[in-house]
Amino acid sequence: MGTTESSIVDAARGRPGLLLVAFLGGLLLVDLAAKLAGLSLGPIGGAISADRFGSNLWNGVVIGLVIGLAGIGLSMTYSILSFANFSHGDLLSTGAFTGWGVAFLIAGFGDIPVRSLLTVRDAGGATAGDIGAHILSTPVAILVGLLAAFAITAAVALALDRAFYKPMRDRDGISILIASIGAALIVRYAIQFVYGSDRRGVTASLDASNLAFAPLGLSVNAHELTIVVAALGLMLAMHFMLQRTKLGTAMRAMADNKDLALVTGIPAERVVTATWIIGGGLAGASGYLYVLLRGTIQFDFGWLLLLLIFAAVILGGIGSVYGAIAGGLVIGIVFTTSTIWIPSDFNEAAAFAVMITMLLLRPEGLFGGVSTA
Amino acid sequence: MSADEAEATDETAGDDPVDADDSPSAEGDETPAADETPAADTGETPAAAGTTHTLDGDAILRLRDLDAGYGDLQILSDIDLDVADGEYVTIVGPNGAGKSTVMKTVFGLTTYMDGVVEFEGESIHGLAPEQIIREGIGFVPQNDNVFPGLSVRENLEMGAYILDSVPEDQIEEIYDRFPILRERKEQKAGTLSGGQRQMVAMGRALMLDPDLLLLDEPSAGLAPDLVADMFDRIDRINDSGTAVLMVEQNAKEALRRCDRGYVLVNGENRYTDRGEVLLGDEDVRKDFLGG
Repeated sequence: MGTTESSIVDAARGRPGLLLVAFLGGLLLVDLAAKLAGLSLGPIGGAISADRFGSNLWNGVVIGLVIGLAGIGLSMTYSILSFANFSHGDLLSTGAFTGWGVAFLIAGFGDIPVRSLLTVRDAGGATAGDIGAHILSTPVAILVGLLAAFAITAAVALALDRAFYKPMRDRDGISILIASIGAALIVRYAIQFVYGSDRRGVTASLDASNLAFAPLGLSVNAHELTIVVAALGLMLAMHFMLQRTKLGTAMRAMADNKDLALVTGIPAERVVTATWIIGGGLAGASGYLYVLLRGTIQFDFGWLLLLLIFAAVILGGIGSVYGAIAGGLVIGIVFTTSTIWIPSDFNEAAAFAVMITMLLLRPEGLFGGVSTA
Repeated sequence: MSADEAEATDETAGDDPVDADDSPSAEGDETPAADETPAADTGETPAAAGTTHTLDGDAILRLRDLDAGYGDLQILSDIDLDVADGEYVTIVGPNGAGKSTVMKTVFGLTTYMDGVVEFEGESIHGLAPEQIIREGIGFVPQNDNVFPGLSVRENLEMGAYILDSVPEDQIEEIYDRFPILRERKEQKAGTLSGGQRQMVAMGRALMLDPDLLLLDEPSAGLAPDLVADMFDRIDRINDSGTAVLMVEQNAKEALRRCDRGYVLVNGENRYTDRGEVLLGDEDVRKDFLGG
């Protein structure tokens, strides 16, 4: 048994697997080219226009950046605290609800009861459209909401650490992982208790919100553009922090070797605190941006998104911040372009298929072995 | 890359608080020599080498009746050890004697049970490693003693983390001491050779110009032709006024170089004397230095 299994794995790791993947990938590319040329060679999917393909790619980049941004925190807590944090998805929900509460408060103050605004609720016949939360009509509210999402989620992540993870600091990764599932449930149902369980619209739709990029045939939504700018800005800030600041260097040092960091005199708890603030804050910001993209909010959306975030982080090489970003983009693009061949109900399956294939060919992930650097 | 991977595996192994060096299983088969010499076994004190383990004068590091171990497992019992200002002291002994444990206990990395750990006249027992570094002790652990993903310069900077700003003059001094590190300052430490890594590790521990440097097996894993080189460097560090407490497998060379040596057996003091006296002592030679 054992020998059969390992020989299969060996074969998959070696050239035959690579050849097979290259062959299938080539087939898909040829088929894609044919589809774009208006031919229908393949058995699945019809011809597509270049515009549709372009917008598939663009949508993939947008969702990929949001997933990548969310993955940074997950990867950081993995490399610095050595556990897979299952409450990370619910930190996205935390950021989304609290951030949008603040955005609504600013956008709709005076017209609608504060209580409804803060709980991101339609009240007394007023709808999300009445509040008019949109980057073009209420840019200040949207941006302050993003900052609030970062700050409040960082505080929640820090509180969870003090309550659950700090007392377990010396325990093994599995124990803390289980504790994090408990923390996830607590956060999720606290959100449901405060904000309710119904899915609701958040952003207003403006007719003028599409900015067309004629040469590319792309129609880009103003919210998508906001997301891309915000996500890239946060990623750049993260890169600068990791590479140029003492704190960032200490984070990379702790990710490399915790025991050595300790005897070198790096104050571990302070680095851990910073890790939660940054990782939690980025999770909150990405949850907020995800809602800006989708236009709707529901108490468990972060939890449902967590699997994709994990896929991105593992694909990129768990522990690497840059891997999380790259993995997010790959997952996002596969997620949206796979609809060229398969129904969109299956696009998560396509994302995971790519992740598993990747792990068979390169088990350490795209950026494997490069911890947080 | 493969070196990195090997390191990663080492690191996981290192998570186990009980080092191979100090593990109880190693304890059982540790003294093949002792079996051949009933004198050592029955605890009769061989005459020549010293059995006074303390110094008459002032010591910067003072251990008295120290008991320590890992969890419930006691490794050290009643250890007495002194290091005088500027002195070069080595600890030798068979595997499992608790040599590294002494060092880790000074740094607060083991389970303290009883006794005195004093540095420059004050108890340092219970202090966090970052406070102990502040007191003036630097520590170079045995394996995995560089941050592989950080550049050489970043590794050195981390050694001065507790300072508000990066001490550029100290970095220059370390580059002067180890010129190859200046050439490689932007290179990731994980890509360096074993000898160069050891220099990075020592440089990092010297960043705060400590009064006492703890070195755990500095020659471990080095190619034979680099070992003498490494000992020369340690001599020079000591010559510039830093006291050194070193654990070494390479006992003969260590005793030849040091001012005083401690021979530890089963977590207890056995012999203490000047290095060359221990080297010349017949019992010490027979029992621990392979004749």
